[in-house]
This record gives sequence, C-alpha cells and structure tokens, in this order.
Amino acid sequence: MTLFNTLKNGAVKAVSSYKQILLIWVTTLILVLAVGFPLRAFLNMIFDSSMIVEKLNDGFDIGVAGDIGRPFGALMASASAGTFLLSIAGFFLMTFFAGGLFRRFTMAWGRQKVSDFLRASANNFLPYLRIAILMMLIIGVLTFIMIGLPGIITMAITGMQTPSGIVMKILYVLWVLVMPVWLFVADASRRWVAATGSHKTFRALGAGFRALRERFWLSYGTVLAVLLINAAFVAAVFWFASIATPDKGIMVFLFFLATQTLVIIRLFMKAWRYAAVCEAVQ
Amino acid sequence: MCLLPLVAAGQAILDKPLSARLTGYDIDVTLDPEKHIVSGMMTAWWVNNSSMPVGEAMMHMYLNAFSSNKSTFASKGNWSASGKEGWGWVKISSMSDGKGNDLTGLYGYVSPDDSNEHDKTVLRIALPEPVAPGDTLVLKLDFISKLPSPIRRTGYDEDFHFVAQWFPKFGVYETAGMRQREADGWNCHQFHPNSEFYSNHSVYNVSVTLPSEFVTGSGGMLIEEIDLGDGLKKVVWRAEDIVDFAWTAWPGYEVLDRKWNHVDITLLTSKTGLSKADNHFEAVIYALEYLNERVGPYPWPHLTFVDPPFNGSGAGGMEYTTLFTTMGAGAIPSFMKMAEMVTIHEFGHSYFMGMLASNEFEEPWVDEGINSYWEQRIVDHYYGDGYGLLRLPFLKMSDADQGRISYVTSPNRTIATNDLPSWMYPHGTYSMMSYNKAAVWLHTLEGIIGTETMDNVFREYYRRWAFKHPSGQDFIAVVNDVVKNEHGNRFGEDMNWFFNQVLYGQGECDYRVSGITSNRIRSYSGVVNGDSVTYTRSDRSSDTLYLSRVSLERLGEVILPVEVLIGFDTGEEVLENWDGTGAYKDYEYTGVGQVVWAKIDPYDKIDIDINRMNNSFTLDPSGATTRRMMNKFMFLVQMMISIFTL
Repeated sequence: MTLFNTLKNGAVKAVSSYKQILLIWVTTLILVLAVGFPLRAFLNMIFDSSMIVEKLNDGFDIGVAGDIGRPFGALMASASAGTFLLSIAGFFLMTFFAGGLFRRFTMAWGRQKVSDFLRASANNFLPYLRIAILMMLIIGVLTFIMIGLPGIITMAITGMQTPSGIVMKILYVLWVLVMPVWLFVADASRRWVAATGSHKTFRALGAGFRALRERFWLSYGTVLAVLLINAAFVAAVFWFASIATPDKGIMVFLFFLATQTLVIIRLFMKAWRYAAVCEAVQ
Repeated sequence: MCLLPLVAAGQAILDKPLSARLTGYDIDVTLDPEKHIVSGMMTAWWVNNSSMPVGEAMMHMYLNAFSSNKSTFASKGNWSASGKEGWGWVKISSMSDGKGNDLTGLYGYVSPDDSNEHDKTVLRIALPEPVAPGDTLVLKLDFISKLPSPIRRTGYDEDFHFVAQWFPKFGVYETAGMRQREADGWNCHQFHPNSEFYSNHSVYNVSVTLPSEFVTGSGGMLIEEIDLGDGLKKVVWRAEDIVDFAWTAWPGYEVLDRKWNHVDITLLTSKTGLSKADNHFEAVIYALEYLNERVGPYPWPHLTFVDPPFNGSGAGGMEYTTLFTTMGAGAIPSFMKMAEMVTIHEFGHSYFMGMLASNEFEEPWVDEGINSYWEQRIVDHYYGDGYGLLRLPFLKMSDADQGRISYVTSPNRTIATNDLPSWMYPHGTYSMMSYNKAAVWLHTLEGIIGTETMDNVFREYYRRWAFKHPSGQDFIAVVNDVVKNEHGNRFGEDMNWFFNQVLYGQGECDYRVSGITSNRIRSYSGVVNGDSVTYTRSDRSSDTLYLSRVSLERLGEVILPVEVLIGFDTGEEVLENWDGTGAYKDYEYTGVGQVVWAKIDPYDKIDIDINRMNNSFTLDPSGATTRRMMNKFMFLVQMMISIFTL
C-alpha cells in the first residue's frame, strides 16, 4: 500500500467515525464546561458593574490585574488548578476513547453502535493506559537525553542562560524527526491490543516495534505526514484564537462555534492518525 | 610612576567644564587578575568652595562594605563572600597632603548613618591644617583594592572583573542652603544595600596596567592604550564631569560601536550577547533621543555600556553616568522588553543622578523614582502604548502598569511617606516606594498638569540643576514655578498640596462610582387645598423627562481633581470636573436621556488611584468579555488535552 493510499483510507475511516468523534468532543466539552462556567461566574463577580472589562477587549491587560487585587491571585490559582485537573481527566478520557477508536479501525468495517464503542473503550482502557504511560516515559527520557542533557552541558560550557547554537538546533530537528517513531509504536501497539484482544502490554509494545521494522518507511512516513499537517493546523488555530477578540454577544457566540469546530477537526485529525497507522500495519 | 597632568592642564573631552569640578582624581593602578587586586596611587583634590575653613575631609571607602559580613551593606543586604578569597576591601598604604604632610594616624572610620562599628565605608580625615575658603586640598594616596566575589554591583568572577566603588572618593561638602542644609558640612554616607551614589561631578584621569588579553571599558574616554611588552598594556582614560568612575576588564568581551548624533556608543558584550546587541543599541538610542528632546542634551561625546556575561550578571543593572550595565537578553523572548527596559533605565541615570546629581541616600525618589517615570515613558512610547513591556496577541502589559502594579498591590503602600532615606523604608518597601510609588505619582502629576507642562518642568529642572545637586524640594520648586507660569492659579497657588499628599503623606487615593439611578419625573400628584389631584394613564405616558443621578465617593485620604465622563442612553456624553474634595459628590441631570454609565478618570490620568475597578459603573454590564475569556480558556484546555495525549 502506498503512503498516499494509507493516508487516504485513514482519512475516510476517520470521517466515517464521526459519531464516535462527536461523542468524544461532547465529553471534552462537558469536562471543560465544569471549570469554564465557574470561571466565568467568578469573572462576572469580580468585574460586577465595572467597565474596566473594556481594557480586556484587546487581549488581557496585566495592568488590570493590579486593580483586581487579591481576587486575581485566587483567580489564577483556581484557573491553574482547574487546568491541571482538566489535563489529568483529559488524559484518562482520551486514553479511554482511544480504545474504542482503535477497535473501530481494526474491526470488520461496518456500523459500530455507541454501546459497542464504549464497551471497546472500557475493555482496552487498562492496557492503553499502561502503553500510554510507558511511551510517555520513553519520550520523556529520550527528550532529556537528546535535548535536556546537551542543553545543560552547553549552558555550563558557554555560560549562556539558554541552550542555543548549531548543535542544539540539530538536536531539536532530530528530536522532531524521531517523534513519529514513538507515536507509530504507540499506535501500532494499541492497534495490536484492539485487534487481538490481548492485554499484555509488553507484547503489544513488541508488536508495535515489529510493525515499525517490517514497514518502516511507510509507517514512519504516514505518521510524519499526519504530524506535520497536524502541527500546521494547530499553529493556525492557536494564531486565530489568540488574535480573535470578539466583544459583542453574537460575535462571541460565533467565536465559540468556531473554536469548537476547530476542536472537532483536531479530534478528526487525531483519529486520522490512528486510522492511518492501522491501515499501514494491515 | 608617572601621573597624568591634573585637570588644570586642559580639556580632553568637553569644550568647557559642565560643573564646578570641585573634586578630581588622577589614578594610576595595576590590575592583578589572578589575585583580583587593583593597586597603585592616586592624587585626589578637593576645592573648598565654602566661606569657612574646613578642618576635616571625608571619603567613601565603599569596597570595605565587602570586607566582612557585619558591614551595613553585607548584613542588611545578605551578602557574604564566596570563600576566604571572596572578601573585598580597600586599604590605604600611605596618605599625605599636597604639602607632603604625612596623614597617617589622622584618619579613621565613622558610621554616620547607623553607628555600625563594623562598617568601614566612610573615612574621616582630620587635616593637620584647615583648608581655607577657595583653597584646594590635595591628597596623595597609595591604595590597594581587593575585589569581592560573588559580584554585587562590583567584583569578579574568574577572569571577569567589574571594578566599581573601588577607590577612596570624596564625599560632598555641602554649604549652608544647599539642599536646604542649615550649616556647612560633609555629606558622606555609608555604603547601603539600596543606595551608593552622591558625589561631586569630577574629573578623572585613570591609567590601568593589566594583561594585554583583557578587553576593557570604562566611563571615561579612551585616551591611549600603550603596549608595555611582556604581555602587559596600559589603558589611559579621561572622564569629565561625572559623579563616579567604574571600569571593567574581561578577555571575553566583544566590542561593538554605534554613533548617535555626537555620541560614540560602545557596547561590551559576550559572544552569546551578540545576537541581542541591536536590541540594546536601539533601546539606548531611543532613550538618548527621548531625553535629549524632553529634558536636556546629553553632553558627552562618549557612552559605554556593558551586557555582562552570565557569570558577571551580578554587575548588571548599574549606572555610572557615562558607563552603565544592562542585563542579558538571551533568555528573554522578543515579545518581552525586559532587557530593553533595563538598558533604558540605567541609561536614564545618566540624567537622574548623573547630570542632576541628587542624593540617592537621602532622597532615593529623586533618583530612582524620577528615573523610573522616564523609563516607563520611553519604553511605552517606543515599544507600544499599553504594551511596551509585554506584547502578545492575547496578553499585554505596559511598563507604567508594571510599576503601578507593584504599588497598588502592596499591602504596605501606606506604611511610610515617600521621602525617607533609602535605609529607612520599613518592611522591605524601599523599591516599591522609591521606584514605583514615586513613578506612579509623577505619572499622576503629568495627568493633572499635562504632558507638555511636565516636559517643560523637566527642561527647567535640567536648566537650573544640571551638574549640581538638586534636592526634592528643589524639584518641587521647579514644578511650582513652571505650573504657575503656564497655568496661573488653575491648580492653586502652588502644587504643594499635591506633594504634601503623595510625597510627604501616607494616604492613598481611591475614587469610586457608587451608583447610578434614573427616575421618570412624574406629573404632579397629591393633595391641593384638600382635594386629591391625580393624573390619568395618558398623563403618565406624557412624562418623558428623567432625573438621573450619578453618585461618586472618595474612599481614600488623597484629594485630587478628577474628570468624570457620564454616558446617556441617547448616546450623549458629558465630561465633568470634580475637585475631589468632598467625601462624595452627586451629579444630577434632568432630560429625556437616562444615565447608563459613568467613569471617573476616563483617560487614566490618575495613576495613583489604587483601584480602577470601582472607577466606572454601568447599568448594562457586558458579559461578552468574560464569555470570550471562558471560551478561550475552554478551547485552550481542549486543544492541550488532544495534543498532549497519545
């Protein structure tokens, strides 16, 4: 199978799984609303009838923080704690739903009921969690070896405050080029669990590495291509979200719709990677 | 050893003296970079410009602040040497006067500020014969200065040397009336953690012998560099009309030059600092341009500044008039202008404390406060009004706000007046009060009298006091004169009412809009001559006038005139001026329009108002901003969840 066909078939499968992806989106939305609504109520309480909010129309003016005073500290603490808790919950949630998605991409193609999707998610959750933790550990250690350690050495030698120089730039590029390997292994391992029903984590990882070795260029190329497109997409949406400053009710609502649409597209793109890896391995 | 000729021999840099030049120093020393010792001889002179004979002299021996952990500087500034080699000191091996009288045994240390017996930073010399009015005291000294480590303002780290506060230097002999002083006398303070500058504008001829591989820079103009052979060289500098002389030597310096009008600007930086050199040059040229235009000319043809290497960062952020140090910008992203801010601030001291040589010890606000005010104006002018210090699409901060936040969020903002000596500020409030509160009320003064008048105040301040020693009261006198000249009695007989509150007072300023009401004015209804008069429904609908009331309150002690902008549902806006004197003020309006919002200080002129949240009130608060913020937060978290999970 060619790289193009792999990507194309993966995209078709991801799009066909729109119900599952919308379910994931709704779940993440509910999750963030649990913090978002109290945050908004807190902000409304702080600003009350003040018109100082006009100063926030063009991005957050830190000068306003001084006027908010102590509640600003409470706000930042709440927002930070909320973000941390949401990140943890989100990690479990995405790990959970990955089980259902991989099952969908490895089973005989056809309709998958939501109950089947959730059942597959639950069934694969523990091995996926172990794979995710192991792979994140591997990526973390590798990052330390490739970036952290040379950076520390560079700073010690040169007396610079930040690691820089041609060597570090090469290492950054190498790190980016190595990332698809680990993502492919993680995806192929999870595909193996979904396909075989086995919960043996290390055998799954072994299968992942084996799949990478057997079709290296197709596997690597698939993940690299999806990653690059994803990176461009993410950069574009962050740029959009950072510069957009709607200040009227209807515009804010349209902004909400736009950002949530972008989240859904991002979820599709993640599912695309899963599906493309499954295609590459088959 | 051959000394350079005394200043009387002629001008080397400037066409004519800028100051009275009451003191001067000819110094010839050698740097031992292994032992971090600077040793040699000095001829120092001081002119008695008073009308009375003077029987003693006082000198700064500031390097002794690093000689023990019991000095005022070390004990209050938590400085300690990095091992036994790290202590710093200055010792006089011999001292004689111009007539050859040996002064050994005639001098000893005093601690005028805190009676700390362990502090040896002020030397008192009992002269064998008084210096008559108009006469010159000449002192010839052999001295040895050991640089400290770790660097705090001055010192060394490996082969990096920043040599400041390194030689015995005269205090300032103040005559009666100068800086509101009642009687003649020396003003010579100890070396404090927060202050170190008050000296005469002097002439310096400095020769330093050191290994050839060292790259050097100083506050003086390079006169010549002589190859002495054997791997040594002698660097000769001359500086005129500056209040202190510092220099630096490090083999790793890269030297870059730029020219701005008549000024040759030299930057000494490390290899890693090269990439940010343009940013620093741009910042210093901005500051030169801005202050030249709005305060007065920068007179010297030379200016050197240093971006120290990482191991020399303890020397960063210091000012020696024609030499200053900034901070490395390497780790700072381009959307933050922290390093540029430091460059502008430290250059600004060339004016505020350098040319306008106020007493940093006794009136730090005249030095740091005024300088911070100008730094903030420059940063926000050139890097963006409202986002001079930080500019991201979703986050911004002006330099002025950075300073204001420090003041308005401080729980100790009313703990003391703003006119204390640097070492008297309680509970760690020195920086907040001297830098930030002072800058905040200077912005407020600008808001009240206008930017053009404020600029004229500083032009006049420069005209009257450049190369002299102004006090805070001298500055206030300039403000009073200029404001009176430009605005008559619009702000009262003088502006003392302002300074009495913000500088000499401890109160805080806080105005608020406490509420808005609008009621329809009803047709008459009631009892007339015993008969009840009622109106009909049709009468009610014909009532089209409203009585609107805007209620304002002054919550703080500080009384300032404020503008109040009031908006009606008809789109009409009315600007009122409240003198702010009462505890409250109501504005009432009768008309077809209802008041829907009100803003005190709508153009943010009163920076010193500690809470701008309550400066405005609307009957129709828009939730759009908070909804947008919530949307962005949720979007950010959702994207993070999808990106950082496998």
